[in-house]
Amino acid sequence: MLDKIMKTDLFAWIDKRTDAGAIIKSQLTEYPAPKNLNYMWNFGSLALLVLVLQILTGIFLVMYYKPSAEATFGGFTVAFDSVERIMRDVNFGWLIRYMHAVGASMFFVVVYMHIGRGMYYGSFKAPRELLWIIGVVILLIMQGAAFFGYLLPWGQMSFWGATVITNLFGAIPVLGEYIGQVLVGGFAVGDPTLNRFFSLHYLFPLLLAAIVGGHIHALHVVHSNNPEGIDLHKPEEMIPFHPYYTLKDAFGVSFFLLFYCYIVFFNPQMGGYFIEVDNYVPANNLQTPAHIAPVWYLTPWYTILRSFESKLLGVAAMGGSLAILFVLPFLCKSAVRSARYRPVYKMMVIMFFIDVIVLGYCGHSAPTATLKVVGQIATAYYFLFFFALPLLPKFEKTKPVPEGI
Amino acid sequence: MTDQADQSRRNFLYVAAGGLGAVAAGATLVPFIGSMLPAADTLAASKTEFDVSTVEAGQLVTIQWQGKPVFVVHRTAELLAQVDGHDDRLKDANSEAIPEVSQAWMDTPDARKYRAIKPEYLIVVASCTHLGCIPLFKPTAGRKDWGDSVPENWAGGWHCPCHGSYYDISARVINGSPAPHNLHVMPYEYKTDTQVVIG
Repeated sequence: MLDKIMKTDLFAWIDKRTDAGAIIKSQLTEYPAPKNLNYMWNFGSLALLVLVLQILTGIFLVMYYKPSAEATFGGFTVAFDSVERIMRDVNFGWLIRYMHAVGASMFFVVVYMHIGRGMYYGSFKAPRELLWIIGVVILLIMQGAAFFGYLLPWGQMSFWGATVITNLFGAIPVLGEYIGQVLVGGFAVGDPTLNRFFSLHYLFPLLLAAIVGGHIHALHVVHSNNPEGIDLHKPEEMIPFHPYYTLKDAFGVSFFLLFYCYIVFFNPQMGGYFIEVDNYVPANNLQTPAHIAPVWYLTPWYTILRSFESKLLGVAAMGGSLAILFVLPFLCKSAVRSARYRPVYKMMVIMFFIDVIVLGYCGHSAPTATLKVVGQIATAYYFLFFFALPLLPKFEKTKPVPEGI
Repeated sequence: MTDQADQSRRNFLYVAAGGLGAVAAGATLVPFIGSMLPAADTLAASKTEFDVSTVEAGQLVTIQWQGKPVFVVHRTAELLAQVDGHDDRLKDANSEAIPEVSQAWMDTPDARKYRAIKPEYLIVVASCTHLGCIPLFKPTAGRKDWGDSVPENWAGGWHCPCHGSYYDISARVINGSPAPHNLHVMPYEYKTDTQVVIG
């Protein structure tokens, strides 16, 4: 199919002016990929798919959404009412909004799997350190975009979530209050906040698209890691990305869409995990909901924040828990990449995955004395994992890695 | 060409031109970041008037001042008695830690303790000093009405649902809370016996 198109006169005309043929060859049909990649390598392309879906659905939602906290005759606000109008009156509005809201959660599902894959198989290690660091930047921008977007429906969780997070910055010495004011644009979260968050919610995905381009470029310079975590040199160990991995990724996409469409059509709120029930109550700046929690994908970091009694320490730990991801490639010094050949690291990293899930569970639940202790232990392990990595090569006996695949 | 060029002169010009460019770029940021600060109409110090006699004995109402929620509590003699006896469990019993927790009208020891001009009417900013949630009013002492959501030696006051901060009935933060400070107070005055002007 592709080679037939590349033989046409029209393609020749374009190729002469853009060098498109060389790009397709070097990036697709002759781009060498390890032949042993498993299904954990599907999540990168899935993340790209969800990003496209989010941008697309977002553009259509903006045709009807109105970012204003002004009160309406119904007693609600312009923003809240416009979202309800999208749900009830706009043709297919319910579908596009549910695709967008479910897409936000699925974006994080896919990206967390992608990050977990990178940690398990040591994909962050040399020469892929910068590829990993660009990925962490993408994660932070995604979290920012999700946070800004969550304010837009102007429900109770939107309002109080934004209040709590913007107040976090108040803990920063000297500049804290100033940064908080720049974010909020007033004395408290209100109409100016809604307008600027809308603007930033539109900006961040555009940044994402650009940085994802950089991520893919960096990948194509250093090439994919593989489950064995070894450097590949022989041509018989590689296969071209197209058609082998485009097809494998396409199969992954159909599998993903099965889940995605089930949730969009049959269970869009996902039991309060994807869309919180309290957010169907219009924002009320005079009453905090009895239990407030961020959406599931931010709860691990929320637990780290809550585990400290000092506000400044909590905020610093939360920031540190994300910042430490940047230096992971320099903390983990073992020459062996894949956890398949690192018995101790394998145990530690699997415990780390469980630990993050525990953190997430604690952050989503109402705070009790027991959960607080569980959260504190999980927070301790989160940091212990990273700080133990430099010491690991001193006593870990790695298994011999294979010569080739 | 390069042989005749005065390199030190050239380097000076590079640094001078580059430095000026950086200063200009930095100066360009000022209007953009400045535009994100609260606008003039948002800043315009608005005053709120409120008739405290509309608050029943023991009742709490939440009103709005400059977009911020404000508690007005009508404290009974019983509630006022709960202010005493636990100074050792407070982070800042005399409200001295930061400027926002005290006001010029706190000029007597009683005004400082009750954090009010008229002890029976407490008026404070309703945002928890931890992360801005509105604390729940749990005025009666002990666990009878509140179960284990409050500590055993609960003296009555506020409990923040978000991260579990506690305040006493004068809105002073209790030790062990994540909140660093007492609830903020604002300037206000009594225009008549019951009419309060806040701001």
